Amino acid sequence: MIDLLGQFDNIRFYLLGPYPKGDIGGLALNIILTILAISFSFIFGALLGYSRLSCRRYIKLPCMAYIEIVRATPLIMIIFWMYFFLPYLVGGHATIISSAVVSLSIYAAAYQAEIVRAGILAVPRGQLEAALSTGMSRYGAMRHIILPQAFRIMIPSFVSFFVSLFKDTATVFIIGVIELTQAGIIISQRDPDKMYAAYLSMAIGFWCICFTMSHLARRLEKRVGVFDLESIRPDACRDEFMLLPKQKKTGEGIEESTACAPEKPV
Amino acid sequence: MLITGIKITLILLVATSISSLLLGTIIVIMRISRIKILRFFGTLYVEIFRNIPGLFWILFFYFVFPELLPRSWGDALNGYIHYPVIAGILGLTVDNASYVSDILRSGRLSIPHAQREVAISSGLSRVQQYLHVLLPQMFRATLPPLGTRMVHNFKNTSLCMAISASELTWATQQIESLTFRGIEATSIATLFYIALASIMVAVIILLEKFLNIDVSSLKQSKA
Repeated sequence: MIDLLGQFDNIRFYLLGPYPKGDIGGLALNIILTILAISFSFIFGALLGYSRLSCRRYIKLPCMAYIEIVRATPLIMIIFWMYFFLPYLVGGHATIISSAVVSLSIYAAAYQAEIVRAGILAVPRGQLEAALSTGMSRYGAMRHIILPQAFRIMIPSFVSFFVSLFKDTATVFIIGVIELTQAGIIISQRDPDKMYAAYLSMAIGFWCICFTMSHLARRLEKRVGVFDLESIRPDACRDEFMLLPKQKKTGEGIEESTACAPEKPV
Repeated sequence: MLITGIKITLILLVATSISSLLLGTIIVIMRISRIKILRFFGTLYVEIFRNIPGLFWILFFYFVFPELLPRSWGDALNGYIHYPVIAGILGLTVDNASYVSDILRSGRLSIPHAQREVAISSGLSRVQQYLHVLLPQMFRATLPPLGTRMVHNFKNTSLCMAISASELTWATQQIESLTFRGIEATSIATLFYIALASIMVAVIILLEKFLNIDVSSLKQSKA
């Protein structure tokens, strides 16, 4: 335990990295990376998730392809791709932090898209029907009725996604970003005898933030309610869910309704 | 080099999947047991391991774990040529097991109480109750999230390159530094990851169909 107290000399490096002399780093950089990646990917992910619900194939399929491909690729691969390609793309110099932010955003967007999609689908269908029957346009119903409720449902998932993305920011140490993991490794190499103390401080840094956030997520889940990504069919489509009754009764009996064709008179 | 990398990745995948399922089952039995101390330690395990990145545990087992052992053991481990792979397996296992136990626990909550009562009244011992009644149902009910977790675990095997375990991602970086053909190697590796992850997802969906799993039952229990 005494050795752990010795780490207090390095606490500035753990928290801020080489900040006054160089770029910001350490735990602060982890938080900054997470917040930046979450905000960028939220915009992109919300668009993707919303368009994935579209019934037009040429909109839906590219979004599905993006989401599935990114979700099947390890984060480390995306980081390497961006590390090597971003300088080509922007035509010149790209800092490692910017390639870290870009790769984390690309990675997070696919997951955010799934959260947004599931959140929209989790709103009961009666809500949209009611909105449409009061004479709202489809856009207005989406904007004023569905999305506000959907976002309320999504909040716990966003917080737990924040936790997992925060943990994933540890991965960017592989391209040399001095965040908490890298800072811990640097310190542990300075003083190899006290390696475990450096690792313990690193663990405490991650644990404090993740623990608080995941408890917040659990608290929110209790208040808002849980919904399950797994329970929603991957091929579900917005109009099928929201605009048409699943089965309509006709004279002969029950007949499958034509999904994905809201223009047809029901 | 790529072929060796694929081999090591597959070894990592199979070993960590099996061991994390076993460890996760043990943890979940601890967490739902009646004994308070076991329950405490089970919860402690999950709270600690879920809130620290898997990468940390991989680094921990590679760098710090041999130091904590008695000196001769530690030196033997550090000298062992395959130790990076083993450290990777250990790190991924402890990380994944916490998630597995969490998923299984939600499965336990979905089993109706009557099942337990029937098991007791038909004279099964506690061990038999778990083996024949509770655990099979837990695994069956939680197959979809468990499958997603295993795909995650597969992707996380790429983190082992941080400790120079010679798996696929590490191999691509070696190729990059030796021949400057990094882009080709990385593309092949990415394709391999996507292909194997898709195969895993397909297998899981087939299993779900085969076992006729009703996901909604799980959802109700959680809410």
